[in-house]
Amino acid sequence: MRIFTALLLAGMLLLGLLPLMAQAAEPVKLTMGSWRSDDVAQVSELMAKYKEMTGVEIVFEPTVPNQYNPTLELQLKNGTGPDLMYARSYAVGQKLYEAGYFMPLDDVAGLEANFPAAALDGWRAADGKMFAVPYAAVSQITYYNKGMFAENGWEVPKTFEELLTLAQAIKDKGIEPFANGIASDWDILECVFLGMLPNYVGGIDERAKYEAGEKKMNDEAFLKALTDYAALTKFFPDGFESIGNEDGPALLGLGRAAMFIDGSWTVGMFNEYEDLDVGYFAIPAPEGNTPGLCFHTDMGIAGNTATKHPEEVKAFLSWLATPEGANTAASYLPGGFYPMINNPAELTDEKAKEIQALGEGKVLDSRFIWSKLVDMYTVMVDQLNLIARGETTPEAAAEVFAAEQAKALGQ
Amino acid sequence: MQKTARQPRLSASRINQGGGYWIWYVLPALIVYIMFMAYPMLDSVRLSLYDGTTGEFAGFANYVTLFTDPDTAARFWGAFGNTWVFFAYHMLVQNMLGMLFAVILTNRTMRGRGFYQTIIFIPVTIAVMVTGYLFKLLLNPSFARYALQDMGLGALARPWLGKEETALHVVSLVSVWQWVGIPTMMFVAGLQGISEDLMEAADIAGANSWQTFWYIKLPLVMPVVGMIAILTFVNNFNAFDIIYSMTGPKGQPNYSTDLIGSLFYRVGVVGDHPISNPNPGLGAAISTSVFLMLLAGVIPTLRATQSKE
Repeated sequence: MRIFTALLLAGMLLLGLLPLMAQAAEPVKLTMGSWRSDDVAQVSELMAKYKEMTGVEIVFEPTVPNQYNPTLELQLKNGTGPDLMYARSYAVGQKLYEAGYFMPLDDVAGLEANFPAAALDGWRAADGKMFAVPYAAVSQITYYNKGMFAENGWEVPKTFEELLTLAQAIKDKGIEPFANGIASDWDILECVFLGMLPNYVGGIDERAKYEAGEKKMNDEAFLKALTDYAALTKFFPDGFESIGNEDGPALLGLGRAAMFIDGSWTVGMFNEYEDLDVGYFAIPAPEGNTPGLCFHTDMGIAGNTATKHPEEVKAFLSWLATPEGANTAASYLPGGFYPMINNPAELTDEKAKEIQALGEGKVLDSRFIWSKLVDMYTVMVDQLNLIARGETTPEAAAEVFAAEQAKALGQ
Repeated sequence: MQKTARQPRLSASRINQGGGYWIWYVLPALIVYIMFMAYPMLDSVRLSLYDGTTGEFAGFANYVTLFTDPDTAARFWGAFGNTWVFFAYHMLVQNMLGMLFAVILTNRTMRGRGFYQTIIFIPVTIAVMVTGYLFKLLLNPSFARYALQDMGLGALARPWLGKEETALHVVSLVSVWQWVGIPTMMFVAGLQGISEDLMEAADIAGANSWQTFWYIKLPLVMPVVGMIAILTFVNNFNAFDIIYSMTGPKGQPNYSTDLIGSLFYRVGVVGDHPISNPNPGLGAAISTSVFLMLLAGVIPTLRATQSKE
């Protein structure tokens, strides 16, 4: 019996030591956290390429998008976080940097020089240091059924007023103008309202005035945006209260709706519908306003301060910050995600290129509330839902916005 | 010193002789219970006294916030009220249907009992997430409309889950549909245990079927009714998954399907989207408050329905 126990213990000890002994010989293996569970195929290809070049293996371990932030925070808190991870821009990412989970990247050569200021802005902490390498941006646009438009002689609207007239014409035909609903509780704000907003408030300089509290979110521009939004929701489908973001591509794809306002990241979803020829246009500005587009700095990649392989992590991030690395990575991005490096190589995907071109000549900015007003998120979603339901007015919602803005800014 | 020395020494044989051997049978379960039930629960009570963001001791501050901060209190009482509605549906609709099915299934003239029993029980075996997503699609007017119109029921294609007036009722009924098999099975078992002699005696005495049910069957299955009531109470106050899958973690629309479970998940575990600012202290305060309320509900129910042996 005693011999057996001794053998068992010795065996267990040996088993415990095995990984340690093996580690010396094995190449470095890093993990990467992400909220893009749809992109496993593309990112894995990129990582295979990176391994070919450097011998460092990076395993992509994504979480479903709406669980990513809490999961990552819990992992980092418990010391089980991935070595590399996608970092949300602005406040959400800054919070994790300030908690000491993200490496400061001030020693990454070329990071400051190779990206435009607007892209760097998304991942710059309050102390001026960068905590992630900008990886990809997204935009919020309108998808439409090209075939249906051609058949009925409908034209892509140039102004918001034209968009409403067009929506009425579509409705008169017995087709739902938009495939948008409010059941998902996020796209109504992130895609529709924040997508419209640059047309009304302008770019980054104007946003700064709201963030400083100089301008209030019940001013003329906001009231106009909310009024136009209210007019738009009248053309949402019958039963829009039950329609979620995931239903939109299906409604457009099956020809039940003519247009769908959503993020550029959805573009790949339409490949499933063979009969659908999908087109894109920017949400048009009202007559007399400067057209803008929400071009959101969305994905950055950060390094974990608690990683066992800091050198390899830094090496990957440095590579990603070079034009060569950024462009290589970009070529593996799924459609609808755009590199932010200066003078990016031309995209190969035609659809992606078409969407990218929508931003030309327009005022571009990240999502309005992401930088300093993200605490308003839930209140804004709730108010936009109430407007769509007809249970509040744009005027009343603007007052709530202004009050919440003051609260978020501590005024 | 002397006193201690005189005490019998503790040894395995001593314990067994003294009749204390039962401890060895209880111990494994007790250890598991303490480790996985009692300790986490007490730790949660402890957590409710600490600040969620700084982790410092905060006394009853979380409880004060929970019940006096207008926004937080409105959400808590909203969720609390919704949970009672959700519970009422299960108590009244699910358990009464369960009793009805059980009485029919155990009737002497019933044919094909196994078949019906299986049908009623199948939904219980389906994952809640699956039920939730299936019904979410079935209740979505933009997809169900065409099939309903073909059946001449086009008027039923309404955003059932999107309207504040209907969402909670519909979610409750879906959950009732899923779980009705449990009380049915338990009542069937209870009713089958009733002696045939009693039924015959009732027949001879000329009791009709309603009288047989009311004066013989129901009193005899009362302990089962009590157990079912407690299970329903406890399960519904912990309900979360059906809300998460059918209407979302915010209890959409406009918090009308927000239950204690979803509120706790939002406040204590994930925080607001997208900033993710969970407050474990406040979350623990919610769960502790609900635990105390459950306790206050369960103990009288147990006393009232469980006969003393």
